[in-house]
Amino acid sequence: MLPVLLIPLITAFACYAIKSTRWMGYTSLAGALSLTAFSIPTAVSSISSPMEWMGGIFYMDALSAYMMALVVFLSLASAVYSIGYLEHEQKVGLIDRKGVGRYFALLNLFVFTMVLVTVANNLALMWIAIEATTIVSALLIGLGFTKRELAIEAAWKYIILCTVGITFALLGIFITYYASTAVIGTEGALNWTVLKGIASKLNPATMKLAFIFVLVGYGAKAGLAPVHNWLPDAHSQAPSPISALLSGILLNTAFYGIMRFVSIVQPSAGEMFTGSLLMIFGLISVGLSSIFILVQDNFKRLLAYSSIEHMGIICLGVGIGGPAGMYGALLHILNHAISKPLMFFASGRIQGRYGTTKIENVNGVLSSMPLLGILTFIGALSLSGAPPFNIFISEFIILKGAADQNLWFVLGLFLFFAVIVFYGILSGFGRMLFGGAKDRDPISHGSGADEKTPPPPGKPGRSGLSEEKEAESGFWTLCSNAVMIVMALLIVVLGLTIPDFIDSAIRASILALGVK
Amino acid sequence: MKNWVHAFSVIDLISAGILLTAVSMNAIRRLESCVKAYSLNSWLLSLLVAMTALVVGETHLYIASLVTFLSKGVIIPVFLRRIVKQMKVTREVEPYVSNAMSLTISGILVAIVYGTLKQGIFVTGFSKNVLQISIAVIFIGLFIMITRRKAITQVIGLLFMENGLFLAGFSLTYGMPTLIELGVLFDMLMGVIILGIFAIQIKRVFASADLDKLTTLKG
Repeated sequence: MLPVLLIPLITAFACYAIKSTRWMGYTSLAGALSLTAFSIPTAVSSISSPMEWMGGIFYMDALSAYMMALVVFLSLASAVYSIGYLEHEQKVGLIDRKGVGRYFALLNLFVFTMVLVTVANNLALMWIAIEATTIVSALLIGLGFTKRELAIEAAWKYIILCTVGITFALLGIFITYYASTAVIGTEGALNWTVLKGIASKLNPATMKLAFIFVLVGYGAKAGLAPVHNWLPDAHSQAPSPISALLSGILLNTAFYGIMRFVSIVQPSAGEMFTGSLLMIFGLISVGLSSIFILVQDNFKRLLAYSSIEHMGIICLGVGIGGPAGMYGALLHILNHAISKPLMFFASGRIQGRYGTTKIENVNGVLSSMPLLGILTFIGALSLSGAPPFNIFISEFIILKGAADQNLWFVLGLFLFFAVIVFYGILSGFGRMLFGGAKDRDPISHGSGADEKTPPPPGKPGRSGLSEEKEAESGFWTLCSNAVMIVMALLIVVLGLTIPDFIDSAIRASILALGVK
Repeated sequence: MKNWVHAFSVIDLISAGILLTAVSMNAIRRLESCVKAYSLNSWLLSLLVAMTALVVGETHLYIASLVTFLSKGVIIPVFLRRIVKQMKVTREVEPYVSNAMSLTISGILVAIVYGTLKQGIFVTGFSKNVLQISIAVIFIGLFIMITRRKAITQVIGLLFMENGLFLAGFSLTYGMPTLIELGVLFDMLMGVIILGIFAIQIKRVFASADLDKLTTLKG
């Protein structure tokens, strides 16, 4: 347990101290590998029997283990991808040696804060950890890279909006503390393990108020509409491996806070109250993002809006509740945490090659970079919810949950938005993937440049220069391909079957949340 | 010893001062004065905690009072003042709405908070006014964040919100356990420092300290 928290911290300091940039990357990778090695036994044992550490400050049950496994898995993927990515960025002159050191140190700190969220037993400690993730990731978004002025704007909006949001969440936690001290006194009054036991005795009116504050506060961090404005900016301006972490798991750590709260509030305030609020937030998120996905001309922003959509679906699943709804939501968290990072990794490669994030300036990825094209295609199909890929399965389970509870209106609305998203994502990425490859010099365009060069029609093959550039960043290609192939395989496998250990972990998590 | 605290309603008096310093933000034109208003607000907050500690007689409240004074009353104001100096921003706050208008709106906010929290689902036996005032300070802070143009004023608005929040938590439950409070303060301190770094970056990159320039990303 303790190693799981210490390893990322130690790695962070080590990365900061090391001189050579390559070695910084390898240190970070070694840290991520040992974190994986230590966390797996901890997670596995806590799925069957929950455990407490340090006098109840830390607590792990199946749900924490599930979330922690996702954090660790994605941190490993980002660590591998980052080595090549940063080498490429350094070569192109977007970041200097000091920046690389800071990047890896912050990356590991970021992992530390997210692991802390999953193992915190005290709700206020969880709040502290979630706020810490904001601070660390804002630095990752906004600092270090030159020629990315917009990143500062994105980071500013991110930290301001999320801090204001999370301030309200803290008010909700104060109110919960007030409610629980009225029942049991101050000893352990904010511990999740204690609150779970006395949840039905808490004052319903007070807990309703607390839940609204927490939902709005953590909802802002989890990217739920209408408090999502920071998300497309931050996700599109962050370096690709960070976008992958933000989208794949950071949103979910905030949502994990909401899920914990739901199970405390439900026994006293009733399922109707929390369920309908979550469903409303979920549907607004899915609906709003579907419109933005449809009209988006920047592929990283498109992916960001897709994150809002998927967080909306997860929120909807928890709101629908019942075993099926919860199972679908938790499975969706996993599926989204695989598909979205894959797409952000791929978009980082596309951005590196084409020097732009505009959809209209990218063309024929499938023919110019076949492997990357196929991986992107799998990711896009998965994100759009096409069968037989993983996200289709979890969306289907959530729909089944809605049908079980006779929520036909919700079900219909969700299906309607899902169709729009399906079209929006596939048409966006279809335009990038298909068509003849364009003949362009990959670095002559500043990143994010929005020049309007009409795509030269039907001109297959590449110029010698881009061949050379491709070879130069061969190491990056190797790292990222390895990561992305693993993720694409996972997408396909999870689309066909849900392995037993995942199934039992999700079932145990549902029990831990008190859903029967 | 405790009697005079009750006799002169010292706690209500101090919390009225906290509300006044928050409202005064609406009329202040110079950035330095904003920072001063914030430090005054924090000092009053820490004084209020100390007075309550006197009444209740709990040691951890004295610690909380001291830590509040050091972090919110000394470190953050000093840091903010340095940022204001370093950025050489034009000293005016330049709000989007006129002072008279924003004073009126703040007044309405306070009235709404008092109106809605009157029936009270919270019974704290602490003071009739403190919870209302704290929520009002949170909303005034939010209002200041929305209506001001300078990056630094947004930070100050956020800090007022957090002071209000601290006061709310305090009036509900006499504060959180000391360890948690330290963690929250640490987060806040880090947040302010990083916002300061970004504010300087914005000034450097966009050649302006106004947030009007930050409108490229949308849609």
